[in-house]
Parts: sequence; structure tokens; C-alpha cells
Amino acid sequence: MFKVQTMSRLLIAASKDQLDTIVRELYRHNLFHIEDFVESDEEEYEGYKIGMPLPGAGEVSSDLIRIRSIESSFGVSAGEVEISVRSGTAELTRKIESEFPLIEKEAMALIEEKNSLENTVREYGAKLAELKPFAGYTGNLEDLKGFEFFRVFAGHVSAEVGFNVPNESFYTTVNKKQFLIAVVPLENAGEAEHSLLDAGFQAVAIPDETGTAHARIEWYTQEIARLNNEIEAVKGRILAQKEKHAAFLVACDELLTAEVERKEAPLRFATTEETFVAEGWVPVEKKGALISDITSATGGKVYITELEYDPVNDVVPIEYNNPDFSKPTEALMDIYSRPQYSEFDPTLLVAIVFPIFFGFILGDVGYGLILLALSIYLRKMLKGEAGQKLLDVLRNASVSSIIFGVIFSEFLGFALPWDPIGINRHLNIGGHAASGHGPDVVLMLILSAWIGIVHLTLGRFLHMYNAMKRHHPGKHRTQAVMGQAGWILTMWGILFALWSFFALPIMPDLTGFPALVAGLNIFGILGAVMIIIGVVSIAQENVLELLELPTIISHVLSYARLAAVGLSSVAIAMVVNYMAIESLIQPQLESFSVVGIVFILLGIVVFLAGHILNTALGILGGGLHSIRLHYVEFFTKFYQGGGKKYQPFGKKRKFTED
Amino acid sequence: MAVEVMTVEVAEATAKGLVAIGAGLAVGLTGLATSIAQFSIGAAAVGATAENKDMFGLGLLFTVLPETIVIFGLVVALLLLF
Repeated sequence: MFKVQTMSRLLIAASKDQLDTIVRELYRHNLFHIEDFVESDEEEYEGYKIGMPLPGAGEVSSDLIRIRSIESSFGVSAGEVEISVRSGTAELTRKIESEFPLIEKEAMALIEEKNSLENTVREYGAKLAELKPFAGYTGNLEDLKGFEFFRVFAGHVSAEVGFNVPNESFYTTVNKKQFLIAVVPLENAGEAEHSLLDAGFQAVAIPDETGTAHARIEWYTQEIARLNNEIEAVKGRILAQKEKHAAFLVACDELLTAEVERKEAPLRFATTEETFVAEGWVPVEKKGALISDITSATGGKVYITELEYDPVNDVVPIEYNNPDFSKPTEALMDIYSRPQYSEFDPTLLVAIVFPIFFGFILGDVGYGLILLALSIYLRKMLKGEAGQKLLDVLRNASVSSIIFGVIFSEFLGFALPWDPIGINRHLNIGGHAASGHGPDVVLMLILSAWIGIVHLTLGRFLHMYNAMKRHHPGKHRTQAVMGQAGWILTMWGILFALWSFFALPIMPDLTGFPALVAGLNIFGILGAVMIIIGVVSIAQENVLELLELPTIISHVLSYARLAAVGLSSVAIAMVVNYMAIESLIQPQLESFSVVGIVFILLGIVVFLAGHILNTALGILGGGLHSIRLHYVEFFTKFYQGGGKKYQPFGKKRKFTED
Repeated sequence: MAVEVMTVEVAEATAKGLVAIGAGLAVGLTGLATSIAQFSIGAAAVGATAENKDMFGLGLLFTVLPETIVIFGLVVALLLLF
């Protein structure tokens, strides 16, 4: 919580004959994040070389490629396959030897058949296109070829051709363009070509066919239809094969992928003639089990030691360490950036505050229920891990939206049968206008400013906490901490100064005190002093930071979006209700008529379309603005990010077991 | 001429109307300003994300920065209206 998983850096050294055993054990545990070995000329690395893959890596890889090629031609993907029983490794290995060649042969034959059919269809299609222009010509096509003393021209022309040589021509219209077949004596061919060129002649090859064009076209069309049917049949057989073998294929894939990864692991280790050294990271609480298992598997013929590391400057792989509640929010963190090893992990904070912001913006029982149903439904449909996490975030947010909806007394823009508690967001639209008293806009704006002030102050304190952890005691640390204190002092100084001049709702009223100096009362002076000390503190860390001073105000005001975006969503909902119900449906219900039914139906359409639109806007508005307040306003105060993801060597097995 | 028919009620109604126009201008103009700013940032951000998926978070952050302008406009409009 608030801190990523603590890691241990392990060094495993053993003789090469233990390599296979150790790699197997590491893979099975799925815990060891391997630090890739890089060859270097430095003295301490002398004699170490990148290892060679274990024997048999090549064969397994080529088997895997064969399996993947069948998978891709069948269109099998591991994400789609659900299995009831996992395959045993030994049996699977035997099956790969005995059954897979048969499956492969069958699949290849089917694919081959399908490809050849498709090629024929394509060929026939081309011939058909060639024949098309000749459709109007009723003679036999073979009669246009094989002349000794004549030349035949066929092609498109833009106008009728004025031949000044003896000729026999035939015109027809194809695709709104004139098509010409002309026969000219060979000795006049040159002149005829000139005339044709003038008429914009584009030659078309005469098809190599016998019989009339019409008959041939008919034949090809029928053939293509027949072949297409055959292709469908083959596709059906491929699909049947896919259904039959999908589970087997994905299991083989998993088994062989694991095998290949294991066999290639030494490529990431440092090796000498007789030994190898593997370096990597393990979560600290799982270290013991891993070490003892490796030791017992090798019969003690291994040397494992824990290395020292610098948590600030060394690149430690990052694994989140969150309670179940905030696990989904890790997806939101990953979109921005993983935390660094030594810094505060704000995931839990985001997990709590994000839904509150979302609910404050989209506080409506109706929309909340819609989004809740949507997130639960999509959660069942979607398979990807990141998508599921985001949907869980949406689920939490929509629960918060329902709670705020109860407080705001809102259901799809209608009022619930009780008055809003504390804050009224009902606008004076339609029927509501009569009830008078509009929304508490000023109250909401100031409340959101308060939220901003607290959130940003917290962010600055977290920066101090990070600085305390990152820097050793000394000048650097003091500067950083003082700088952050300066920002807090300046912000609150501005607040005190404001309060001493203006009485604002839900803020302390400090105006009633006598003025001491230059019209400032005691709190005004306090505020001014705080601002001065604050600015000096900021400047001592870095003078350029003073350029950022206006962000104190703009970032706090940015939280006004909590009120503003929420009100706009209420406004859209109420306008939709006003249009659909008060203007379209209600008057028709009062004086019923046949035409009225059309209006009522129209009203229902407006109601549905309006609320669907507003739900979509609600997700965008509520979600994006809430997360933006975190990313831009909150995180820029303390969060660095850029941590490297923890990717343990191994794989969660889905389809196979030992 | 307008001065002659200007009664208190007319003046009040006019003032109200002008306030509404002011509020509309505040939202509309700041909205335009934001969209002009986001237009080029958004295009660049999508490009960067296409090159490197890790840029998404940072790209989103940059893209939404100008939104502050329209939020200020909205706040001003709300304060004018209520």
C-alpha cells in the first residue's frame, strides 16, 4: 500500500550441468525477473559471455512455428478458446509426435484446396471482365482471330471513327462508352490506326475463347457460382477442423512456447566455460520459497546470494502492491506511467478519489445504474486484462455516481421524491422553473475549489515525502522540502489574504477584524507574510519555478470543472426531459388523438436518444475530467513515474498441467 | 426613440438578455480558443501515440491542457447567470 512491491536482487550461480534444472524451476515459479546480461569489456565482466541456447532449442522452435502456422490458418487464438480439462504435459508431448503431423497434413490439404479454388475464381473473374465488352457482339469470338490478310481492332472509342479505308465495323455501347470492333485489310492497317488514334481509341485484347461472348459469359458466371459454393464447403470443413483441434493447438502452443522460452533463457545469462550466472529480481516475500526450491531441485549444487542495490538509482522492476480494492486502478496508473521504485505509489489514493470526482460530476441514480449494468455486462464479454480493469474502475465510479445521485436527488434529470441534501443541482428548466430556487452554483464552485486546495496541498506534501526518501539528509533534501513548503505557504497565503477581504460561503470569514496596516487586517498581514516567505522558499530551490506561480490559481480553478461539467450534464438531461415529456408527450396524453400517437412516439425517440447521448457524454465528461484532474493537476505536483514493469520469467498456464 | 420607450421593465429585461449573451460569448469564445489549441496538440498526440504506445498518457495530458480555458469560460458564464 502506497509503496510498490519490495524487491530482492538475487544472483544465482551454478555449473552448467544444473542449467536445465534451474531454468525449469525458475520458469515454474514465474517469479524471477531476469536482468539481461550484456557483454562488456570492463574488468569485472572479463571472461563472461552470453550463454548458448540449450540443446534442442532449434527443433522446438521449428515445431512451434508449424503449430502457429496451422493456428493462424485456422484462425485460432488462445484468448477465444475455453477448455474444461487441462492437457497433461507428457500426453501432449506424445500427441505432438503422433497426432500433430496428421492434423498438419489435413490442414495443409484443406488450405491448399481452398487456395486453388480461390485462384480459379480469380482467374475466371478476370476472363469475365475481358469478355464483358464483347457481350453485344453476337458472332463467334474465334472468328475474330487467325486472319492472314486482315487485321482486327477492338477497343473503346470516344466517337464514331471515320475510316477512309475499306473496313467492316461493329459498334456497341459498354458502360456508356462506345466499343468498336473493326476489320481492316492488312495493307490499310497503318492508315486505319491513324483514324482510330484520332477517335481516342483504347485497344482491348480479344479474348482467347471459342463460341459467342454471351455463351462464354454465362458459362463463367455459372462456374464462379459453383466454385464459390465449393469454397464455402471447404471453409465449413476448415471450421469443423478448427472446432475439433483448437483446444489441442492452443495447448501445444503453450507447451512449446514455454519450452522455447526455457531453452533460450541462457541467452540472457552470463556464462563461462563451465558455469553460468543469472541475475534478477524477486519480490522479497517470495524469495525464500524460490531459493529453497532451487536448492533442493539441484541437490544443493547451486550458489544463490542476495545482492545489495540502490533503491533510488538502480532500475528496479516495478510490481504494484495494492489491496484488491485498488487493483483495477493500476490500469489508470499504467496509462500515465508506472511509479518508480523509491517513490510514493498513489494508486490507492486515485482509487478512492477518482470515483468521488466521477460521482460528483455525474451524480445521477439513473445514469449510475445504466453504467453499472453496462460495466458488469461488458466485463463478462471482454477478455483483455487491461480492459477488464478499466471496466472495474467504471463499476466503482458508477456506484459512487448512484450514491451522489441520492444526495443530489436526481434520476435521469428528474427529481427523486426527496430534496437534495446540501447541494441543489436542479436547474430552472421546464416544470422545475416553477419551484423557483435554481442550482447552488456558487456553493458548488467554492466546494470544488476547496477540493482542489486540499488535493493540491496533499500533492505538495507527497512531493516532500518523496524528497525525504529520495535524497540523503543534506542541502539538497532541505532545498526540495523547503521549496514544496513554499508552494503550500504561497497558496494558503493567497487564501488568507482573500478571506480577509471577502466573505465567501463555506469559507472562513475573516473580514470582521480591524485594519492594522494599509487596510490589511491581522489575517491579511498573515497572508501577505505567508506569500512572501513562500515565494522566497520556492525561489531558493529554483528561481525559474517562479514562472509557475500563476498555476497556483489556475490549477485550483481547474477543479471548478467538477461543478461545471456536472451542471452541464444535468442541464442536458433536464432539457431532454422537457422536450420529450413536457412538450411532446404530456400535451398529447391530455387530449388524445390519432396524430398524437406520432408525437408520443417522437417524444419517446427524443427521450431515448437524448439520454443515450448524455450517458456517453457522462462517461467522457465524468471519466476524462476526473482522470485529467489527477494526471495534470495532482500528479504534476509530486509524481515522476517511468518505472520498468516487473515481468517474471515464466508463464501462467491456462491449457496445460504437469 | 428607444430611449423614449425604455421603461424599468424593458431595461431589466434588456440587462438580463445582455447577461445571457455575455454568458454565451464566454462559453462560445473560450470553447473556440480551446478547440484551436487542442486541434494541433491532438493531432501531434495521436501521431506520437501511433509511433509509441507509451506516449498515450503524456499525449492525453498535453491534449487536455487547453481545456482549462473553456472551464474558465464556463465558470464565468455560470457566475453571470446565477
